[in-house]
Amino acid sequence: MAPADKQSALVQGTLDMLILKTLALEPMHGYGIGVRLDQISRGIFQVNAGSLFPAFRRLERDGLIKAEWRTTDNNRRAKYYALTAAGRARLARATRDWETQAAAIARILRASPGEI
Amino acid sequence: MPLLSRLLTGFRALLRKERDERDLDEELRAFLEADVEQRMQSGMSRRDALRAARAHIGSIEAVKDHTRDAGWESRLDSVGRDVRYALRGLRRSPGFTAVAVLTLALGIGANSAVFSVVNGLLLRTLPVTAPERLAMISTQQSLNDGFGAGWNFAMWDQFHHRAQLFDGAIAWTYFPQQFDLADTGESDPADGLFVSGEFFSELGVSPLLGRTFLPEDDELGKEREHAAVISYGFWQRRFGGAPDAIGRQLMVNRAPVTIVGVTPPGFLGPEVGRAFELALPIGSAPVILNERTWAKPEGRSYLAVMLRLKPGQTRDGASALLRGMQHQIIDAAMPRNGIWGEVQDDMMKDPIVLTPASAGTSELRRQYSQPLLTVLAIAATVLLVACVNMANLLLARATSRQQELQVRLAIGASRWRILQQMLVESLLLSAMGASLGLGVAAWGGRTLVAQLSTWFDRIVLDVQLDWRVVAFTGGVAVATGVLFGMAPAITAFDLARHGGGRSPIGARSTDSRRAVALRGGLLVAQVALSLVLVVAAGLFVRTFQKLGEVPLGFDSDRVLVVRVNASRSTADSTIPSGSYVRLLDAARGVPGVAHAAVSLNTPVNRGVTFVTDFRGVGGRDLPLKERRSIVNLVTPGWFETYGAAITVGRPLQESDTKATAPIVVVNEAFAQKFFGGHSVVGEYIAPEIRGDFDRPQPLLIVGVVSNSVDQSLRYEAVPAVYQPVAQFTRPIPMAEFSLSLRAASGSPAALTRSVSAALTSADRHLAFSFHLLEDQVRGARNQERLVAWLSGFFGVLALLLAAIGLYGVTSYIVARRQMEIGIRLALGAQRADVVRVSVGQTAITTTIGVVVGLGAAAIVTRYLKTLLFGITPLDAATFVTAAVVLMAVALLTCYVPARRATRIDPMIALRSE
Repeated sequence: MAPADKQSALVQGTLDMLILKTLALEPMHGYGIGVRLDQISRGIFQVNAGSLFPAFRRLERDGLIKAEWRTTDNNRRAKYYALTAAGRARLARATRDWETQAAAIARILRASPGEI
Repeated sequence: MPLLSRLLTGFRALLRKERDERDLDEELRAFLEADVEQRMQSGMSRRDALRAARAHIGSIEAVKDHTRDAGWESRLDSVGRDVRYALRGLRRSPGFTAVAVLTLALGIGANSAVFSVVNGLLLRTLPVTAPERLAMISTQQSLNDGFGAGWNFAMWDQFHHRAQLFDGAIAWTYFPQQFDLADTGESDPADGLFVSGEFFSELGVSPLLGRTFLPEDDELGKEREHAAVISYGFWQRRFGGAPDAIGRQLMVNRAPVTIVGVTPPGFLGPEVGRAFELALPIGSAPVILNERTWAKPEGRSYLAVMLRLKPGQTRDGASALLRGMQHQIIDAAMPRNGIWGEVQDDMMKDPIVLTPASAGTSELRRQYSQPLLTVLAIAATVLLVACVNMANLLLARATSRQQELQVRLAIGASRWRILQQMLVESLLLSAMGASLGLGVAAWGGRTLVAQLSTWFDRIVLDVQLDWRVVAFTGGVAVATGVLFGMAPAITAFDLARHGGGRSPIGARSTDSRRAVALRGGLLVAQVALSLVLVVAAGLFVRTFQKLGEVPLGFDSDRVLVVRVNASRSTADSTIPSGSYVRLLDAARGVPGVAHAAVSLNTPVNRGVTFVTDFRGVGGRDLPLKERRSIVNLVTPGWFETYGAAITVGRPLQESDTKATAPIVVVNEAFAQKFFGGHSVVGEYIAPEIRGDFDRPQPLLIVGVVSNSVDQSLRYEAVPAVYQPVAQFTRPIPMAEFSLSLRAASGSPAALTRSVSAALTSADRHLAFSFHLLEDQVRGARNQERLVAWLSGFFGVLALLLAAIGLYGVTSYIVARRQMEIGIRLALGAQRADVVRVSVGQTAITTTIGVVVGLGAAAIVTRYLKTLLFGITPLDAATFVTAAVVLMAVALLTCYVPARRATRIDPMIALRSE
């Protein structure tokens, strides 16, 4: 396992949300999703295959994403994932929840002694 | 996501594991390849890129493992792990496992056993083609009376002619129940069945060997060979399964018949509870029974008639169809002349009704439905007690596993994961109990059915463990597993999460408040349920006892009853011929016979009772329906044979003949009812016979005899009239009658051989069978005996379970409080105080349980009313006895562990922590 793996720093349950968000932009294959997460998070989240694949499986089983074998730009076969309607709804809800929570947490962390 | 599609994908995943594996492999390869390409683009050599990519992805197998775990089907894997874990745990405590599995095997097995009989009697459909389209032809009145209608041959003929309106019609009768296969002398009985020509083909029962009947076998009044179809059981018993049984001849009631076919083993006949051995066509009945009136309007009505509805035809539609033709049918079958006018009027007014018959008909079902369902309810309650016991045992186990569970929670096991594990353990126990229980059920079901048979009925019931019984057992197992597993599982979780905390003295953790309350509640429930069962058992045992105490009005232990069939006798067998006298003399000549008498009927013989309406001349004016009395024709010596006491007047005498004035002896009930209890000797009674017979003479009462039981032990004494056979003038045939013998000493069974020889030498055409009056009396109590036996068994089982439960809980409490007791003793508490404290807690719980149980029993027992006899459902003696027994058992069982507590050495107790 790569030492740079920051997966453990990921708040539990957020990986699913991030994958959904990535797929909301366009359908993508497994490796692409990993790379995209890496790029967008500017290297903060490097998610390895051991976490990605279970997540794909989980999301697929829950009907939030669907998979399809397609040919990539450089003519290779790859399994592409795309968001379903249910996935889109879940993402919207998860995003809303996350923003509320994150804002609350941030407020608490910023609080000065006088406020507490 | 809808649950269903989620389940489907899960199952598909399980089924298509291999394909999914390949899919995953390929996807991972693509992933790796993409990574390599990416790295090569940034200038790495392919080799370096490959190595870096491999290092990045880590172990491929680990990735695959994680991925596989993500689906719900991996839950099954985790269940598998839990099962293995639970098995290890159970193996570690073999004592607990044995007690638990045995308790459950008995509890579940008892339920399955009773259910298998209920299934065989009430639920199974006949093993014939399309049983759901079968319907019995009955009438409203006969249904109201609780029996199906019987039809005579003439009526059946009418239905038969209209069979094309339906998908066919068939008829059968079990009368005369047994055929006699002997050539001479004592009967060699076989369970007989007369059926119509299309019976087997219509039902779709094809022969195992040979053929079944053809319509021409069933033609009436033709000189021909009589065909017989035998059952598989009879074929095995009689011919050892020899294939050349076909074509062999048998003597049936002294007439030759030829075996033409054997039915398959699954088919026992149209009536559930009975198994025919030998079937003959109805058309052969007049010859076989030597009954010339068979096909005439006055022929007896004992045929059951069944229709097969056409596909799509409803029962109501078919009923309406028949009702529209009811007039024609009856008119054709019973020409309106003479005495039939009245009968015909009655029949016209009684509408024809079709009843569903997919499960066949059954006399046994009518008699045993309620007792069986009651016993099933009792068995279910016993299982409930067993469940409570198990819950208590598991609760104690869970508490002692607290630490293990705390560790598991601490390292991240979810609440569900722990619940799952606990439930898996309890379900495993109940599954083991259930599989053993199926064995108990197979044995118990057979034993139960064997108990149903009496001297009169050979009961054969198919109680094999079919899918219904297995499904029932499975359902019960899951229900019990969840029932007794849930409470301990939740408590265990509770304990583990909140932690029992550390008790102020010592490091041993204490029980949570909830666990203590739960345990108390379970004990109360257990005691209460057990008490209800003990009360029910007490009521049934007392009922059986009371029936045994019913004054019979005769001695049963010395009497041998010989049922004589004289239908083949060459002598004139009508009553006035007096041909019975020869037999009576022959029997009286046998050494060891003290008294002998001939009669039309004997008590408790399950035979037909003759009744006549009477009017007491100068007696009370009774409403029409109240004038009925039993009539028995007897010879002098009858009262002596049965040991019945003449209370006033004289018995019948040899001097009462055709030449003298007709006399009768009546019983006390008759005197009471018809004359209001006056002295009745010297009064006259007049038989009221409808129809065109001669007005019979009034009969002079010469004596009064004490009341005696007629057919049922449950009814109060009914009026009865005893008339001398010699004075009976109507020329009715007496093909069947009884010869009752009283042995001078010893068992009357010893007389059979010499009586048999004497009767055969008197008339070699006679057929006869021997019955001990004692057996017949016992047979009359069979249902009550069975219910008393079963409920008593379950009552004792419940007591035992309650005792085990109380013992276990008291032991547990004592063990948990070992240190406290040690300290008390060290501080100078008396041993008696320690016992009192330990017993006291259980005593309080038991008392609450007993009070709740008494209340529950008072509510429940009213539903048992119709099954009881001689006691009320609230019989005080039974209730008090049950409560005392339960309290005594409870105190005894908790005294033992309490005593043990006093032997605790304070030093050891304190050091052990």
